[in-house]
Amino acid sequence: MKIKLALWFLVVAVSASVVAQDFGNFNGGFESNSQWLRPDEGMNFVEPDDPFRSNNYFTLNYNYGKFSAGVQFESYLPQPLLGYSPDLDGNKIATYYLNYKDTMLDITAGYFYDQFGSGLILRTWEDRQLGINNSLRGARVKFTPTNYLDITGLFGEQRVGFELSEGVVGGIDANLSLDEWISSEDLSIRLGGSYVARYQDNLANQNIPTTVNAFSGRADITYKNVFASFEAIHKDEDALVNESVITNNDEIYRGSALLLNIGYAQSGFGINAALRRLENFAFYSDRFAEGNQYNQQIINYVPTLTKQHDYMLSNIYVYNAQPRLILQPIQQQSGEMGTQMDAFYSFKKESFLGGKYGTKIDFNFSYWSGLEAEYDVANNAYKSEFIGKGDRYFREVSLEIRKRWTENLSGIYLFSDLIIDKGITDGSPLGFYDIKAQVAVAEHTYKLGGGRSVRLELQHLWTQQDKKNWAAALVEYNFSPRLGIYAGNSWNYGNDVKDIHYYNFGGSYTKGNARLALNYGRQRGGLLCVGGVCRFVPENTGFSANLAVNF
Amino acid sequence: MKKLILCLSVLMSTFVSAQTELPNMTLKNLDGKDIKLQDISAGDKLVVVSLWATWCVPCKNELDAINDVYSDWQKNTGVTLYAITTDDARTVNRVKPMVNGKGWEYEILYDTNNDLKRALGAATIPLTLIVKNNKILYRHSGYTPGAEDELFAKLQEFSK
Repeated sequence: MKIKLALWFLVVAVSASVVAQDFGNFNGGFESNSQWLRPDEGMNFVEPDDPFRSNNYFTLNYNYGKFSAGVQFESYLPQPLLGYSPDLDGNKIATYYLNYKDTMLDITAGYFYDQFGSGLILRTWEDRQLGINNSLRGARVKFTPTNYLDITGLFGEQRVGFELSEGVVGGIDANLSLDEWISSEDLSIRLGGSYVARYQDNLANQNIPTTVNAFSGRADITYKNVFASFEAIHKDEDALVNESVITNNDEIYRGSALLLNIGYAQSGFGINAALRRLENFAFYSDRFAEGNQYNQQIINYVPTLTKQHDYMLSNIYVYNAQPRLILQPIQQQSGEMGTQMDAFYSFKKESFLGGKYGTKIDFNFSYWSGLEAEYDVANNAYKSEFIGKGDRYFREVSLEIRKRWTENLSGIYLFSDLIIDKGITDGSPLGFYDIKAQVAVAEHTYKLGGGRSVRLELQHLWTQQDKKNWAAALVEYNFSPRLGIYAGNSWNYGNDVKDIHYYNFGGSYTKGNARLALNYGRQRGGLLCVGGVCRFVPENTGFSANLAVNF
Repeated sequence: MKKLILCLSVLMSTFVSAQTELPNMTLKNLDGKDIKLQDISAGDKLVVVSLWATWCVPCKNELDAINDVYSDWQKNTGVTLYAITTDDARTVNRVKPMVNGKGWEYEILYDTNNDLKRALGAATIPLTLIVKNNKILYRHSGYTPGAEDELFAKLQEFSK
C-alpha cells in the first residue's frame, strides 16, 4: 500500500513538473551507493552471502506557497552496504513531512530534523555515509514572534531503520538575543535554554525512571574580535545499559555536560579553544540501545572534538568521543574531559615566509582523557573529580602548511604527532596500552591549463606499536572540471603478521545535476569517521559505485 | 531490482524540470544576523553560492583559488559569493578563526544542521551554484584546480 502511494506520488510529480509554474514546484534527488564484494586471498576476505549490495535514496519535495511536503523512499537491495545497521532492510518509505512556514510560524508534521544549541542535548540529522538518520516523527512548532526571540516545541518517536523507537522524545527550546537592548555595536549577547525529556515504559521495574529529563542553559557572547560560548547540561538519573541489558543492579546515575568555547579572529589570524567535560552523557531514545555499534537511536550529538583529517594515513588512528559511564569488572570509565585548540595564520604575500603568493598555516592541538574517578564496581558506585588527571585517551599536535609556489604549482604539507589509547582503536578496555605515531603528508597540485590538473599525495606513518608503519601515495589526474581519475595505495609493512597493500583506483564524472563515481580496490578495516561520528567499517575488497542526481 | 529500475525510469522522466530555485530558508551570517536566501540574489544581483566546510580540502582549495581573483570578478561581473558552511557543532567554532585567518572576503552563512545541504540534495561538497533572481542558473559539484576559470566564464555569460 505504501509503495503504491509512493508510486502515485511520483506519477503526479512527473506530470505536474511539466506545468510547474502554476502548481508549485517539485524538486528532489536520487542517490545510489552500491558495492560488489569480491573474494581476496591476499586479505583473507571471503565473498559474503550477498556480494552485491546497495543503499538507494529517492527524495521528492513539493513546494506551493507557504506549504511544502516531501517523502524519502529508501531501498536497500538486497541488503545494505557492509557495516550498516541490519535494521535497514527492504524498500520502504523512510520519511515524509508536511510543513507550513510563514514569517512567525513554522509547523511540521511528520519526520523532522532539528538541533537545540550545539546539539549536545538534542540533534536529529541525516548522514548517509554513516548510516545515521535519527529524525523524529511527530510534530514540531517553531514560533518566532520577534527578531530577537524564537521558541520551538517538538515531540515524536525516533526513526530506527524503518520503524520507530520505543521511547518518545519531547523538547522545548528558546533563544533570546539581547542585542535589541545593547547600544554598543561591538557587543552581542545571546542566551538560550532547552528542556528535553524521554519517556519510556519501565516494564514494571520501579527502580528505573519512566521519564528522563535533561536541561540545558547556554550563552553566546561576541565582543569586537573575541567570541565565547558556554553550554551546561544536566541529565536526570537513568539506569546503565550494556549490550541491551540493564547493568549494575538497576542503580541509576545522573549525567552532565559542559562545553566552553573561546576564540579571537582578526584579518589574517584566528584562534579558537574548546573545552568540554562529559560525565555519563549517553542519551538514547531507547535505553536498551545504549552503546550500539551503528549509532542508532541517539537523541543528541556528541562529536569528537579533534582535527578532522582528509588523508588516508591520518585517518587510521582517530579518537572517538567517550561519553558513557561503564562500571564493569573489566572496564571502568565515566566520561571524558579535554580540549582542542586551533590557530590559523596567513603570512602575507611578498613577506619573508609568505613568498610570492602567501602562505597559510593551520595549527591544531587536542587532548582528551577520562575523568579522574574512583570506581567501586562491587557497590555499583563511583566518585569523580570535577577537574583532575584521568587516563589519557588521546593527544595530537599537528601543523598544516598551504603554499602556492608558482602560478600553477601549490602544495599542502601536514605533520602530526599523536598518542592514542589502543582501546579507542579496537574497543578493548581503556587505560592499558598506548599507541604513539607520527604522520607526514605532502600533497602537490599542478595546473596544466585548459581545466586539466594533476595531484600527487605522498604519506607516511611511523609507529612501533600496533600494525607498525604505513606508506601511501595517491595520484589524481583531471581531464577537465568534470572528469577525473585516480590511483592510490596504502602499504602496511614491518609488522609481525604480513605486509599488505590496500590499493584503490577509480574515477568520477560530474556534470550539472549529476555525479557518478566508480572505485575498485581494498578497503582498510577500521573507523570511518565523518563529522566526528565514527562507524566501524570491516575490511573488504570490491567495486563500488556512487551515483547522485538532482532535479 | 524491479523497483530500482522503476526508480531510475521515473528519474529519467523528471529531467524535464530541474530544481530551479533556492529553498526558502533563513540562515545566520558571521555577525549573527538573519539572511533570507530568497533575498540575496533579488533585483538582478549575480550571486555564487558555495557549500563548504572547514574539513573539506577541495572546498578550501576552491575558496582559496577564488579569493586570489575575487576582486577582479567583482569588478568584472558584480558578483557576490556566499560561502555557506555546512560545519556542524563539531567544527563550527573553527569557521570564524579560519575565515579570518585566510583573509577571505566572502559573505559567510551558517548551515549548521545541514538543512540547506539536505534541501539542495547535495550528496557531496563542494557544491557551487550561480543564482540570479533566486533562480539557479548553474550547478557544479566538486572542485578541481582550474575549475574556477569555467565558473568565471559562466559568470560573465550570466552578468549580461
